[in-house]
Amino acid sequence: MTRQTRLVLAGTAAALVAAVSLVGGALRSSGGSAPAVPVKASAAGETFAAGFSDGDTASFVKRLVHDLRAHPGDAKGYTLLGLAYQQRARETGNPAYYTKSQQALLRARKLAPEDSATASALGSLALARHRFGEALVLGREAVRLAPFTARNYGVLGDALIELGRYDEAFRTFDRMSSLRPDLSSYSRVSYARELLGRPEAAKRAMNLALDAAGGQPEPTAWVETQLGKLAWSRGRVREAESHYRAALSVFPGYVYALEPLAQVEEAKGHDRTALSLARRAAEALPLPQTVATLGDLYARHGRPRAAKQQYALVAVIQRLLVANGVRTDLEIAQFDADHGVTPGRGLAAARQARRARPSIDGDDVLAWALERNGHCAQALPYSRRALRLGTHDALKYFHRGMIERCLGHESRSWFVKAVRLNPHFSLLWSPLARRYAS
Amino acid sequence: MTTAVEKRKIVIALGLALGALFLALFARGTGPQAAQAASHREAPLIALDPTADITDFFMFRDYAPGQQDKVVLIMDVIPGEEPSSGPNYWNFDPNVLYRFSVDNDGDGKADDVELEFRFQNEPIRGIPSQFTLPLSYVGGAGGLPPITALDGPGSEGLGLRQRYTVTFVHRHHRTRVATGLIAVPSNVGPRTMPNYASLAAQGTYDLGNGIKVFAGQRQDPFYIDLGGVFDTLNLRRTPPVETQAEDANDNVNPFGTDMLSGFNVHSIAIELPASMLTGDTGATRIGAYASTSRPHVSVNGEGHGGFRQVQRLANPLVNEAIIGTVDKDRWNSLEPEQEGRFEDYYLNPRLALAMELVFGVPAAKTNRTDLRDLLLKYQPSDTQLSELLRLNLMVPPTPFADQKRMTVLADTPDPAGWPNGRRPKDDVTDIAIRVVGGPNYIAARASDGVNTDDAALTGSFPFLATPSDGRNRQHDNP
Repeated sequence: MTRQTRLVLAGTAAALVAAVSLVGGALRSSGGSAPAVPVKASAAGETFAAGFSDGDTASFVKRLVHDLRAHPGDAKGYTLLGLAYQQRARETGNPAYYTKSQQALLRARKLAPEDSATASALGSLALARHRFGEALVLGREAVRLAPFTARNYGVLGDALIELGRYDEAFRTFDRMSSLRPDLSSYSRVSYARELLGRPEAAKRAMNLALDAAGGQPEPTAWVETQLGKLAWSRGRVREAESHYRAALSVFPGYVYALEPLAQVEEAKGHDRTALSLARRAAEALPLPQTVATLGDLYARHGRPRAAKQQYALVAVIQRLLVANGVRTDLEIAQFDADHGVTPGRGLAAARQARRARPSIDGDDVLAWALERNGHCAQALPYSRRALRLGTHDALKYFHRGMIERCLGHESRSWFVKAVRLNPHFSLLWSPLARRYAS
Repeated sequence: MTTAVEKRKIVIALGLALGALFLALFARGTGPQAAQAASHREAPLIALDPTADITDFFMFRDYAPGQQDKVVLIMDVIPGEEPSSGPNYWNFDPNVLYRFSVDNDGDGKADDVELEFRFQNEPIRGIPSQFTLPLSYVGGAGGLPPITALDGPGSEGLGLRQRYTVTFVHRHHRTRVATGLIAVPSNVGPRTMPNYASLAAQGTYDLGNGIKVFAGQRQDPFYIDLGGVFDTLNLRRTPPVETQAEDANDNVNPFGTDMLSGFNVHSIAIELPASMLTGDTGATRIGAYASTSRPHVSVNGEGHGGFRQVQRLANPLVNEAIIGTVDKDRWNSLEPEQEGRFEDYYLNPRLALAMELVFGVPAAKTNRTDLRDLLLKYQPSDTQLSELLRLNLMVPPTPFADQKRMTVLADTPDPAGWPNGRRPKDDVTDIAIRVVGGPNYIAARASDGVNTDDAALTGSFPFLATPSDGRNRQHDNP
């Protein structure tokens, strides 16, 4: 190939990338190096009808608000507005949109109490706020009102998963997938298979989801990121990286891929790249997990003050989330147990979290918090429960190892298991796990 | 004078009706967009499914000269392709089973002849495979040859290519009639693909026995004032009706704007002798529908447990304007002969109520046996209800130049268009508005004001216009 050819191509790509950054916002641009045209402007009608604008959620919200001023009795309009606010929350990380979503949806419910779409939207809001008990009730209601709409089984199944009612949850996902095999149901079946310790089968279902995304930027980026995490959970660093990069190529700046990509770079020993990626992620979308990852990276690289700053920020964000109706007990308990912040509070939060969310994650967090507080005998049954599905999860193996070690039992095999599965499973704990495994 | 309470009632009713409209009428797809992850594992609850989303289904007797013994079936998928959406543009889904199903014995079950299309992606090939740049198609600059061929010399720049297989199923007996055919890629632009029409022409395959197939990108033949419709049916004339002269002119849009102009779709088209569809039944009428199916998976399953139908389309606007939102997933998964379960939607169409509220003209809202019989039966005496697009093979095709968009409702009726089969030219929006609205709407010539597509259809296979190219695409704006 001639140099001239390369130049022409490089020039083209550069121009395209420039067009993306000019035309598209960080979170809403179409195709990788393509100009950020609304993906399906023509389908504006379709997506509008369906409740979303493909191009720009913010202006869609504006338009809905405007229309609702003229037609204040339009229940459907309020349902759409409620969903649009949830999308804004996802795009900006600002939980105040959850409160707005709730207001709109309650208005819709008042106007049309028996509407399944409103019940389902309230259900997805409850899920987003980690209020899984409420989500369960709303999911059941949506299913009752519209038993043949696949989406409603998604709300119900997601709630059941987080409440630890796995058999019901898996049956619900199967029902959803029978009604409509598509990205939404494939990705749920994939997750269920992952929980059951069947990563290959999980990958197959997620690959179907990838094709079903049909190249649309956001869904494609989401599925690629899940495939990356699946690979990462099995220690497949390169495979994970290629998925995260694919996500970022189809959706430049996709935060949910930036953050795990930072961990990939860290695993490869590229400290500075890792830090800059984590910083980008935390700045674009300051969620507890993005900010905590940044803090953990600082901590790893001997910058305790910078780490502390981020950790303090996590606490602020969590307060903001709570103020907007988001339950964060499990996240707080996990964070506190990991970072040794006010141990007493961590344990209380963990007990509270486990009560509200008796899933394998709730069990695991309580087990870990108990271990950190020296109650290792109490921790053991929860750790057993956390592994009851046979999930391949290095962090849970590590927690189990720590508990067994604390009790003076044989524990090395658990650390070996964790490290073999994924030597980079945690920025904070992998080094310790490696030490105990050797 | 209406009282305040009445006004409020009207506003609420209007809101509900419009909600139904927004969610359904003219919304030519299955729906919502994708959400993404929050901090727990939150998969999208609602995602667009463009590659399985059938926008249109056409079936008609071939109107090209000398081809009248043939029947053409076309399905369009992937709504509203923005032509400039590189670098991967648009493709069929290798996991989707695309299928036409035909009833030729009048029992309303479309299980007599089935035509199946399956696609496979080739590994990235040609010049793009040598680059790390994410470009699927390159050529025409810097010494690179432009893309002028689907295969062999001239195809070097075609990095992403799909091949497909065509299978005929006659009463469950399967015959693979073609394999390795190449789908025509998206129209990137004049530098990369300097003669797209000739490139696309290579994608029309003559399979012998009078069979032709095509799969690839085409201009979206549907025309409608979508923006006007969605702005609370704010059509560009009050009331939205056409004069007799305007109505008779199929080449001018009297007051609407075709908001699907400049957008593309992916089409699968097949032309074959009518006798291959009727078999030995001697049928003079056939019914058919198009569908997409995806592999079914379960949590404890291994591979996949066969295909599950995710969308079907026979008559236009049934899914969108007739079937209620809460039943759409089930409706799509069922076979057309199970339509009896949905009879009520046909007898009491929501669309009629919505139109009455918005247009302020009384519409026929209840006991619409006429609508049911038109859409679900071969003849009124049938007891089997089956939602199929029906084609009377005894009606001779109207030459392309003489076709009327209003078909049987035209001043000079043209019986060879929808609801007798459906041709790309047929103005199904206006026909549906008038048929569903009833006599008042027919008399008033109610219309969205768009009478013609922005791109000229062609009079021969594959009948749809060359797609807009990514560089020079143009969308008509009001």
